Amino acid sequence: MTRLRSDTRAAARGLSDLSIRNLFILPTITFLIVFNVFPLIYSLYTAFTDYRASTSAPANFIGLANFRELLGDPYIWRNFTITAKYVVISVTGQVIVGFGLAMLLNRPIPLKGLITTLLLLPMMMSPAVVGLFWKLLYDPSFGIINYFLGLGKFEWLADPQMALYAVAIVDIWMWSPFVMLLSLAGLSAVPKHLYEAAEIDRAGAFYTFFRITLPLVAPILMIAIIFRTMEAFKTFDHAYILSTQPTTELIAIRLYKMAFLEWQTGLSSAFAYIVLIVVVAITNIYVKYLNKAKAR
Amino acid sequence: MQGPIYRLLAGAAALALSAPAALSQELTIFWAEWDPANYLQELVNEYEAETGVVVTVETTPWQDFQTKAFTEFNARGSAYDMIVGDSQWLGAASEAGHYVDLTEFFNANKLGEIMAPATVKYYAEYPGNSGKYWAVPAEGDAVGWSYRKDWFEDPAEMEAFKAKYGYDLGVPQDWKQLIDIAEFFHRPDQNRYGIAIYTDNSYDGLVMGVENALFSYGGDLGDYATYQVDGILNSEKSIEGLEAYRKLYSFTPPGWSKTFFVENNQAITEGLAAMSMNYFAFFPALVNPATNPNAANTGFFANPKGPYGDQFAALGGQGISIVSYSENQEESFKFLEWFIKPETQKRWAELGGYTAHAATLESEEFRKATPYNEAFFQTMFMVKDFWAVPEYAELLTAANARLYPFIVGGQGTAKEVLDALTADWVETFKKYGRVQ
Amino acid sequence: MAEVKTRGEVFFNRVAIVAVVFAIIVMLTPIFWIAATAFKPRNLATTAPPTVLFEPTLSPFAKLFTKRSQLREPVPEETYAAAPWWEKLVFDGGEQVVRNRKTGEATSSGYGNRYMNSLIVSIISTALAVSMGTITAYGFSRFRMPGESDWLFFILSTRMLPPVVVAIPMFLMYRAVGLYDTHAGLIILYTAFNLSLAVWIMKGFIDEIPREYEEAALVDGYTRLQAFFRIVLPEALTGIAATAVFCFITAWNEYAFALMMTSKTAQTAPPYIPSQVGSGLSDWTVIASGAFLFLVPVAIFTFLLRNHLLRGMSFGAIRK
Repeated sequence: MTRLRSDTRAAARGLSDLSIRNLFILPTITFLIVFNVFPLIYSLYTAFTDYRASTSAPANFIGLANFRELLGDPYIWRNFTITAKYVVISVTGQVIVGFGLAMLLNRPIPLKGLITTLLLLPMMMSPAVVGLFWKLLYDPSFGIINYFLGLGKFEWLADPQMALYAVAIVDIWMWSPFVMLLSLAGLSAVPKHLYEAAEIDRAGAFYTFFRITLPLVAPILMIAIIFRTMEAFKTFDHAYILSTQPTTELIAIRLYKMAFLEWQTGLSSAFAYIVLIVVVAITNIYVKYLNKAKAR
Repeated sequence: MQGPIYRLLAGAAALALSAPAALSQELTIFWAEWDPANYLQELVNEYEAETGVVVTVETTPWQDFQTKAFTEFNARGSAYDMIVGDSQWLGAASEAGHYVDLTEFFNANKLGEIMAPATVKYYAEYPGNSGKYWAVPAEGDAVGWSYRKDWFEDPAEMEAFKAKYGYDLGVPQDWKQLIDIAEFFHRPDQNRYGIAIYTDNSYDGLVMGVENALFSYGGDLGDYATYQVDGILNSEKSIEGLEAYRKLYSFTPPGWSKTFFVENNQAITEGLAAMSMNYFAFFPALVNPATNPNAANTGFFANPKGPYGDQFAALGGQGISIVSYSENQEESFKFLEWFIKPETQKRWAELGGYTAHAATLESEEFRKATPYNEAFFQTMFMVKDFWAVPEYAELLTAANARLYPFIVGGQGTAKEVLDALTADWVETFKKYGRVQ
Repeated sequence: MAEVKTRGEVFFNRVAIVAVVFAIIVMLTPIFWIAATAFKPRNLATTAPPTVLFEPTLSPFAKLFTKRSQLREPVPEETYAAAPWWEKLVFDGGEQVVRNRKTGEATSSGYGNRYMNSLIVSIISTALAVSMGTITAYGFSRFRMPGESDWLFFILSTRMLPPVVVAIPMFLMYRAVGLYDTHAGLIILYTAFNLSLAVWIMKGFIDEIPREYEEAALVDGYTRLQAFFRIVLPEALTGIAATAVFCFITAWNEYAFALMMTSKTAQTAPPYIPSQVGSGLSDWTVIASGAFLFLVPVAIFTFLLRNHLLRGMSFGAIRK
């Protein structure tokens, strides 16, 4: 275990680096392990049984039967493709809108604090309430979207193809502020002297953006993308309220139905683990990108 | 040394003696959060006045009711002594041992006779025709229809209708008339639409709506005793009924793709549709002028009969069951004895509860009490329910997956849909060993 | 060096401001609509076409705090005249306040209690998550830890599973330990839930702070802990503010676990607000008023932190 250069001198005063490291890290890790170990083991175990939480019948070990049933179910595959499409649309939208807003705000403008707080408002509402009200907003008869945009009787949620986009739009609306805030923090950390140097060298806007701004904001932006992607896979609250069309049945919706409407606890645990594997794989890739971005 | 210990023992003894007495004086009934729960709380306050036993009606929103109830059962918790559970839970709850067997209680009090027969069959008995009872019918409910009397009684409309269809415009006597009237009033350019129906496929909304058509056309969901589905669910009559429901969908307002009781009432209060289906439990909101600007012009009728003379309505409603893990079962039985008394049932109806008590339902007083009670009375003797087996939710999921694209998306034919659904249901029944 | 702006820059600045105003309008119209609905009389909430101009009323708020049931017959004159202003508003809405039979007191809807619960749980869990997250992030950032990337990934993974899946085992766990329906239970849960976000975001910020500062401080005779508190923390304030805002929002609006893990004592507001269904009609005005009031603390919290959020890092001088 390597010690930092200044350790020997600092060791004479106060705690050693090793103790600080342990004091700072171990409580969190211990806490998370203790807290999560039982649910994880429980779900893992039930995934291999036919347990139903609504009955008092004992759980019978059935090996991989749950997994086989899921992987052979055509509806499950459709859930995955729908969710994948949704994640791509939603996260891309959030990044474009969020980062775009951050770029716009990254300059001296009046009332910047107030404006930032206002733009953060969509993120502050409970997803269930957001879902309820957007359902009303999208309604061709009662809602203001068609009314203000003059769209007449355009169907948002009733149209099978449009519905997924409608749900994604709500997600983008709600979570762009998250990306915006992190991007703004990252953008304001870019040292001004780099911009000045680029100006002196007569660098164009594109060059400045791609060679200076983006690489330096990349780490924070990647963290935002990682978290938004993870959350997009788990999307349930507002999506369930807005639309339960077959074309918008996201994984989390199907999982909820399986676990709490049909009470197929074993099957839903198996499903959850399949989803977990997928999310872990995707996140792994993102984290590699993150580390690459930081190394630059 | 001895002094304090003596006092401690005395204190402990006093505590031990007083505790049981305090425990037996309180009962908790669990229900969903809606007006009938408020009425029940008012009713049980009278029980408290009579007996001194404090009864609390604890509630939680509808969408979480099932989850909370079953999670509590699963943990064998004693938080609730009784529960006013959905009729569909009978199978799951009784087979899992969550409900106390009320068969003796039923037979001793002849509940099979004093409650409306349909309610006994669907709210209380499981398995079908087994003679075992698990709940006391408490809140009767079924699907009925509301309509805009003023639109129907407008002379110009009546003339135009007679000219087009050849008979007088009035409350539809059968499903053909229902469809005709919906078509007649469907005028998108005037922001007026023919009809509002259930299309919510997240749980049972859509299926309950379809049931009204299916049952009245003479079709059925299967044989509840033998679990036979083929030839019944996809019979000619069932197919016809499903097609009728699809036809009605074409006369609904735009964006009518995930609608349940809220939206269907809104169709009337906001003047969108001429007719609207909804559970009777939600009709009080329509006769209240403060919540419905069209209240004075809103009328009600029971589900009309089909072309072959069948007339049924989809059942809703709940019954009170005693939770097996309750610590106050004796006290709960006493409460139920009080609940089923004719005076109590009458009072329950007065307060707004939808009694299932046959005599109260038949009384002139009840039938005239509100504009919809007459339709309710007629309907409660012709209700039919969905499967009550423990795996009913999987049957619902399959039904939603098949029916929704056809009705709302217009994909496929009724025959294809019902054949596919039959195959799905047979699969599910095989999985649970109900058929070979 | 004086800042001379080119004409292009000034123009672009103006365009940016216009774009920002446009963005505010688009992003905030739905929120404005919800706020407006919170002050509408009930029958104007869902008109077709939507009502934009109306006379505001406080009746949704009166209804928000009271338990009500439908009026089954018109209110007698005397009762109406003798009622306090908020009860009159409820009567006007076609409902009556449910009163305790014995004491005659109006029954509260419980919204106020739930609001308080939300405040307690969110504030404490945010404080815990942010502090633990910051020190853990510092630990990972400045020190070598065997299996570091694995630990970090593990921390990240605690947030990957949908709540649905862990709801039942969590429920059983909490019941067994006696944390069901307690404030402490929810606080612990939300802290655990928010830790991964806190650690990762803070690590992102702390990584950006050059180590040279601490090295210099240590050379000057500070201990590592002193260097942490006096040098790193102030620089990381932006990250701390952002993390605090996110953690607070997550805990504040959490629905699934609040529903499952609590009932009477410790339940927070989110499971309650959407449930204003009553007898057959969603009272959108009451939902809107509940949501509106619920939005206020978060908005204020964020507004108070705005300067820290926008502070950025002040030390661009040292090149990495």
